[in-house]
Amino acid sequence: MTSREDQKLSSISNAPTTADELVRQRAERARREHLRALTRRWTGNILTWILYVVIAVVFASPLIWVIGNSFRSSQTIWENVFPVTLLTFFPFDEFFFDNYIEALGLTPAAQAMGFGMARSLGISLASAITVVVLSLIFNTGAAYFFARLRVPRKNILLIYVITTMMIPQQVIIVPLFLVVNQLGLINTFWALVVPWYASPFIVFALIGFFAELPYELDEAAIVDGANLFQILTRVVVPNSIPGLITVSILEFQFIWNEFFWPLVAVSNKSLHPVQVAIANQFTDRDPQWGRVFAAMVLASAPVIILFLFTQRYFYRSVALSGVKG
Amino acid sequence: MATTAGNLPAPRKQRWWQKYRNQYILFAFVFVLPALINFAVFRYYPMFWAFRTSLWDYSLMRGFTEFVGIDHYVRAFTGDPRFWESMRATLYYVSGKVPLTIILALLLASFANQERRGMGVMRALIFVPVVTSFVVVAIVWGMVLNYNVGLMNAAIQSLGLPRIEFLTSPENVMPTIIGISLWKDVGYSVIIFVAGMRGISQEFYDAATVDGANVWQRFRYVTLPMLRRHLMFVSVISTLGAFQVFVPVYTLASQQRVAQVIVFYIYRLGFIFGEMGYASALSVILLVLLLLLSVVQIRILRSDDV
Repeated sequence: MTSREDQKLSSISNAPTTADELVRQRAERARREHLRALTRRWTGNILTWILYVVIAVVFASPLIWVIGNSFRSSQTIWENVFPVTLLTFFPFDEFFFDNYIEALGLTPAAQAMGFGMARSLGISLASAITVVVLSLIFNTGAAYFFARLRVPRKNILLIYVITTMMIPQQVIIVPLFLVVNQLGLINTFWALVVPWYASPFIVFALIGFFAELPYELDEAAIVDGANLFQILTRVVVPNSIPGLITVSILEFQFIWNEFFWPLVAVSNKSLHPVQVAIANQFTDRDPQWGRVFAAMVLASAPVIILFLFTQRYFYRSVALSGVKG
Repeated sequence: MATTAGNLPAPRKQRWWQKYRNQYILFAFVFVLPALINFAVFRYYPMFWAFRTSLWDYSLMRGFTEFVGIDHYVRAFTGDPRFWESMRATLYYVSGKVPLTIILALLLASFANQERRGMGVMRALIFVPVVTSFVVVAIVWGMVLNYNVGLMNAAIQSLGLPRIEFLTSPENVMPTIIGISLWKDVGYSVIIFVAGMRGISQEFYDAATVDGANVWQRFRYVTLPMLRRHLMFVSVISTLGAFQVFVPVYTLASQQRVAQVIVFYIYRLGFIFGEMGYASALSVILLVLLLLLSVVQIRILRSDDV
């Protein structure tokens, strides 16, 4: 403290006659300030921790309950749910793996009852990967056209693409079914793939990524004698890997989680992707909870694990749609 | 360097350009054509097909059987109480879901926006339901809220309170479904708001603090105005999404008449009862409604830019 502040202080608190008293008063003030700051910080910390617990309970407890109880038999799930204790969530006393084996349809008995998650997982994985690959090829091509090629009046086409985004997907599912039916694809694997091989949202996102690259790169490649295709594969794509990963993850998640379209497009049970398969299991009249729990873990684990390892890309894909939109 | 630049004048480039121009454009279109075809066949064509089918009696086996003109539309507006019931259910859902999403997302985002130890885990927890499929979410909550053996009623009973019929009573089913969708979708909006809040310069808050603004005033007069675009985006996206809700109704409340929203009704008409023509007419009505809505909302967005 400067001497002027000292004077001010002395003028506020009446009559600090001796230097000794002044020192004591200052120490007292500092102590009180410190205490107040400490209390403020600790109330902040405690509030934060309370909110942490609330968020964790609200958002994680249903998932933990499902994961934990997928290792119990249906009977012990019901026995442990009331009263609510730690045993409700974590199966410390039991390790029952049959749910998974039955849900996957690995025993003849389970297959006879119509469980075949293994096959459904395969269908989901195959269709998701196929769509990601096709989408990487065709959306990248389209975005390359819009972001980097010099074609007159291509803005008209861009409006066409952007307008596509306004068409609500759930609403046109009946006519989409009729169109795909005309193409003879209903009840085939390709019904799950073909309508989604290009997406206006992904084209739009990729245009943003590609437009960021400096145009000098293309010019340098042209001077080296590269054609348009070579510019795309050797200049644009290698420089946009994070963007391409972002859209691939987005597309994978979209196809993996898609439910309404596969529900109507494939009625053949052996072609049901995993979401349709578990919905069918649940709507059975007498669902075996343990098996349904296991099926749900299998159906959501791939995407959740993917998310946990690539959070950055997920957040980016959201921010991308939000901020630039 | 300067001389070589002089030796490569602009006209030569122009000549290269002109000579190959037609080939260049043809080649360029190869890149974009597959995507354009996809949009035409799988997005625009179904839309027009819906208009056409809505004027016909259509069956999957025999195709277009009889031209009925606007009969389907007349039926929807005058002779079908189920259609109005489904519209009412949809509006109930939208008017509950959208405001709650925005309010809850703003609250969670103001909290999750802070840089504290463990906050990354919280953001991930809030976002996990977003990446999980709605089918799984709906079934999980269906089991959590089960009347007899669900986790929620067990917890309620452990507190000594009476059990609640979340999904089996007509009064509770819609609020329950709104709550479940809120739990699933709120993380998406939270991430958008967090991104927006990160973009607000600390200086604004410092200035407000100097002027003596408290926490609420800083939120009301700094954060909210600066998030205007994000708020608009979230309300557009969640409104359009809410009008198209299907999965939770299909998995949890297909027996409950009060919960049968419009898309579920269209699904039942088209794929259970085989009335493709009438289902298409209802699709067209919903389509027009949503297109009008998004045009209005985009207008508002645009005028916000000024």
